[in-house]
Parts: sequence; structure tokens; C-alpha cells
Amino acid sequence: MNQTEVIAKLQEVFDDIFLEPPKLTPAISAKDVPEWDSLLHISLLVAVEKTFDVRFRVGEVEATRNIGEFADLIAKRKTEK
Amino acid sequence: MNRHELKESLLKGDPAFWTELPQLNRKADGFDDLIFLSTLRKKALTRGIKRPQSSRTVRLAVIGGYSLYPLHELLVHLLESIGIACELFVGDYDNYVSEAMEEGGRLVLFNPHVVFLLPGVQRCKYPGSLTDARDQVQAAAESVVHHLLDLCRVLQERTSAQIILGNFLPVSRHDPGAFRARTLASDWNFRRWVNLELGLRLPAGVHLCDLEFLASRHGGLAGENPRGWFESKQPCSFSLLVEICREVSHLIQGLYSAPKKVLVLDLDNTLWGGVVADDGLDGIEIGDTSPRGEAFKAFQRHILTLKGRGVLLAVCSKNDHAKALEPFEKHPEMVLRATDFVAFKANWDPKSDNIRRMASELNLGLDSFVFVDDNPAEIEIVRQFAPEVLTILLGPDPAEYAGQLQDCRLFEAQNITAEDVQRTSQYRAEMERTSLLASATDMDAYLASLEMEGFINEFNPVDVPRLTQLINKSNQFNLTTRRRTEAEVQALIGHPDFISFSVRLKDRFGDHGLIGIVIGERKGDVLEIDTWLMSCRVLKRQVEETMLNEFVRLARDRGCVRMKGVYLATPKNEMVRKFYPQMGFQSTEVTEERGEYSLDLSTYQPSPTKISVKRQDS
Repeated sequence: MNQTEVIAKLQEVFDDIFLEPPKLTPAISAKDVPEWDSLLHISLLVAVEKTFDVRFRVGEVEATRNIGEFADLIAKRKTEK
Repeated sequence: MNRHELKESLLKGDPAFWTELPQLNRKADGFDDLIFLSTLRKKALTRGIKRPQSSRTVRLAVIGGYSLYPLHELLVHLLESIGIACELFVGDYDNYVSEAMEEGGRLVLFNPHVVFLLPGVQRCKYPGSLTDARDQVQAAAESVVHHLLDLCRVLQERTSAQIILGNFLPVSRHDPGAFRARTLASDWNFRRWVNLELGLRLPAGVHLCDLEFLASRHGGLAGENPRGWFESKQPCSFSLLVEICREVSHLIQGLYSAPKKVLVLDLDNTLWGGVVADDGLDGIEIGDTSPRGEAFKAFQRHILTLKGRGVLLAVCSKNDHAKALEPFEKHPEMVLRATDFVAFKANWDPKSDNIRRMASELNLGLDSFVFVDDNPAEIEIVRQFAPEVLTILLGPDPAEYAGQLQDCRLFEAQNITAEDVQRTSQYRAEMERTSLLASATDMDAYLASLEMEGFINEFNPVDVPRLTQLINKSNQFNLTTRRRTEAEVQALIGHPDFISFSVRLKDRFGDHGLIGIVIGERKGDVLEIDTWLMSCRVLKRQVEETMLNEFVRLARDRGCVRMKGVYLATPKNEMVRKFYPQMGFQSTEVTEERGEYSLDLSTYQPSPTKISVKRQDS
């Protein structure tokens, strides 16, 4: 999966979890979306792991700075499987 | 409805959203499913979709040795979905001791109704060596138990809250190997000992959320979440977290709602395999001679255990009463016997009617009934016509029956008393005193005991006022609802093309008067039933059968070979929609508004009745 494909699928996950889902772009990040707090973030990660069938490692999601980097991480974990 | 259909109903603003939501919550298999539903619920709230009033508002405090998000989110979602609104206090991570102890602190001022206290497992660890003396380790375990029970006591003193105390998750890693069993100092044994003592010593007003049990049910490794702990101090995996929240929600619901009292059971393919009326006493599957028979027997054993805890048992079966009773009386492998039941309804009436009757006979609310059947159609009729009754549709495999019933968690008591154990015999005695008609065979004896006489009269001038009154007044048992004036009724008397007669009914308690009317018009060799009506107070007294017997006799006398009946639906005559087919007519054309039926007079056999018929001419 490339970044664009991952982001398209991510959009569906966001649509399910956010009351007002943001339109995802590679540059967008949590600080651009008021609803996206640390609490919602946990739900998001669980849903992403299930949807993409990936398992993140401790601390690595925190290190991504925007959706683009997050999508790259998903793609990377996906290819390793 | 699935989650996407639920989303559709949200987008349409359909209030059914709120009734579907709890069902989807129950079915939701996992954390992200529930979080999705929780988001939908919040969206529905912001969109202002009309929702049922909450049954109550609970001030709920959640405190503990972990991060309590997303735990509180799930918990509030589950409670709000079943109509329990929550005001929430969420404690800080691992701050529960001071939150509970602080006099005049935020938690005390919040004055919770319910506190869920989830202590961290890090507080339940023996600090010494695996080889320390047992007394020494036990003293340490004791102090963990005391500390928690003290905390509960303080909370109760300061807040008058009901407390739900979580115990400690068991270990699921091998370390230190088989030696874990040989010392109380191993985490495995230490936690188990503390959990056991906590449960046995719980004071009134404190309820256990048994994490040890939940984790064992869920699978220890599946409950682990080390990354979640390091990243955000999660107590366990999100899938196990869902189970914990379901348990706490269940316990809180149990604080405010009465438990179910009556378990109503179908018979064929529910309590035994096969159909007793078809397969016979020897043909049903029950008992240790086959695996299926064993499974049904195990289900019966579980049901008997429930009775032992005070649950009332009842039978509701579409069956011949005598045949339905036979296995209970004669089959050696049956666990349940007729005396185990407080009500035994085996007849052909709708099950919803039978359950309503039981409720009034036992003087219990319909909402304390649970109905179990393997047939979806029966479940549906009860859902529709006795919606207060909780229904359980059994799955395809009898091996799963007991587990399925147990997982519905309907008969769990906070406490079980000696009185519970005797309840069935008390209710049975009460039922015998009121001695209500419980069955078709009793019904026959009852009808015979009434010594009924039916007086059949062709229309005559004396009866015209009463005939006209009944024709214009009857709504429910009225197939065509055709109204007539006195003059029109008068015109039918002695008319060569019409067969019109009335029935009066007397029994040993008195005269019911003129209660039934039929009008038939002869067209060639067909008799068309223009009107058939009856007073509802003589329903189920075999007046219908008596009338048809007489009608057929008169029609044959006039050379008719076929009878044609029509049902015209009105808002009030639903009760006779199926009347003609019930009387043995063949349907020829049936729609929602009307049904046409036909009866072949050459093959018609008169129904036996307990009414002795008197005719005006005899």
C-alpha cells in the first residue's frame, strides 16, 4: 500500500470515530483537529490496528508528526507482515 | 440491524436508533465496534434524535490504579444505552487512595451513588523472596486485603455509595515456572489468595468485579497489553477492557432493576430432541443413550439448578396437553418433572396469550418473565404481543443451550436466601388454590361440567329487536361487519334464499341470552355466508363449532354442496382473521383486507362439542 491508499482507508476509520471527522491530508496532525485529543487517539490506534491488521511497537506512533508519517508507518508495518 | 444500518437510522433521525443501540452493544465483538457505537450515540445526541427518557441518573465515580480512559468512555456508553444516565467523576491515574481518604475532597463532594474502584496490580505483589515462610507471605497478603476493605469502608462512611471493587488480574506468563504452585509468594498464588479472601470477606454494599474470572474467561494472554501499559497506563488489552466494562455495567444495572423471576420453556427441541406428539415417548432424544440426548439432559439439569436458586419454571408449548405431560410423568431419563413447574401451558393458543395468562395467574409482572424457544416464529410472536417478556432464541446446537442461557445473565442474584430455595412450592400451592384452567384436557372437563345447552332458532319476529341490536353492535367477533336495520332483518324471516339463525346459550350458572348470529345466502348449490357474528363473552365455549355444525346441516338440507365464507378486515375484528381456516375452511383468496374461504360440505364431519343442541322445531 502506498501513502495515498493508506490515507484513503484511514479516512474511513476517522469517519467512524470522530463526531466531526477531519478531511485527511498528509500534512494534517492532531493539533489541527480540536476533537483529536489523547483520549480519542487511543480509540483511533485500536481501530487502525484492527482495520489494517498491523501491530505497532511501543512509542513509535507517538513519534509520527502528521498523517503522512503515520500512514508511512502503517505501510511499513504492513509490508513486514 | 448491523452497525451500518444503525448509522443510516442515525442519519435519517429515526428514533428506532435508541431501541436498536443496546442490542448492537450486546452483539458488538470488541473494542473498536463499541467505540464506533459510542461515537454514533454521541452523534445522535448532538443531532437531537428523540430518545426515551432515562430511567434514572447515576452519579458514578471511577477511580483506580490505571488510566481510566477509555474505560469510563465504554462504561458510560453501555449504561447510557440502557437508559441509565451518568454523571461522572474520573479519578487521576493511581490516585485512588487519597481520593477515597481525603475528607471533604472532590470525590466526597461529588457524593457518588456508585464507585468503581479498580486497584492497580502493582499493589498486589509480595516484595520478599519466593522461599519466605508461608506465615510471613500470608501476613503480607492479608494486609493487601485489609487495605482494600478499609478503603471501601471509608468510602461507604463518607459517601453512602454502593462500591464495585475490582480484584486483581491473574498472571499469564510462565515465570517462575511450575514452582509457582509451591509457594504463596509467587505472583500467581499471591494474587489468587488475595482475590479469594476479598470475595469471601466482602461486606454488604460492596460488590466484586471479578477480574480474575473475566480474564480466565477471556484468556490470560489475550488480556495482556504491555504496550498499552507503557504508553498510557492501560490495565489490560482493550478486548478484556470491554469485558470489564460490561461486567461493571451489569452490576450497576443489577443495583437498580429487579431480577427476572420466571423462566418459561418450550418443550419440543428445547427440553428434549424431537417432537413428542410425532415421535412418541420412545422417540424423543433425552438422556444418556445418545450425545444429543445427553445435551438436552444437561440443559434440564442446569434449569433445575436455577429452580434451586428460586427461579420459577413454567412450560409454554404448542402441543396436546396430555402428550406434552407424558415425558415428565413417564420418561425415566427426564430430569425435570411436572412438579418442578408452577405453570404448564400446552395448548394451541398463541404463546404470548399463554404467558400473559401465567402472569395474571401468578400475579407477577410480565417484565419478570423470560421465554426460551428454539423456534424464531414463537419468539417473534412473544416479542410482538408481549414485548415486556425477555426472549431467548436458542441456537442450533443443544450442546450450547445451557451456556447460552447462562450468558444471558438473567437469573443472577446478589444474594441467595433460604426462601429462594422454597419459592416454587409456595407458588404451586397458590396456583392450586386458585385452580385455574391450565390445559386443553382440563378444558374439556370444564366445558362438560358447565352442562351447556344451545338453542338454535331460525330468525323469527320476536327476536328481531335483539338480532338487530347484536348485528349493529358486534365488532370483534364479526366476520363481515355488515349492519342491518330492523326492517332488513325482518325481511330475512322465511326468505327462501337465506338461511338465518341465532343461538342462545344456557349453562348451569345461567342464561347468556342470544349470543350468536349467522346469515347465509343460497346461490345455486353454494351457500355464501353473509354474516357470522358472536358475542365475545362466550368465546372458547364451542359455540362456534356448534353453529357451524348446524349451518352445514341446514345448508345440506337445502341442497348446497359448498359453503363460501368471507372475512372483511376492520380495525376491530382482527381476532377472527383466521377464523375460517381454524374451522376447517380452505382459503381461496386472501389479502390483507379480505379473505375468501370455502368448505366442502360433502366431506365435512361435525365437530364434537359439549353443548347439547335444542332446535325450535324439535
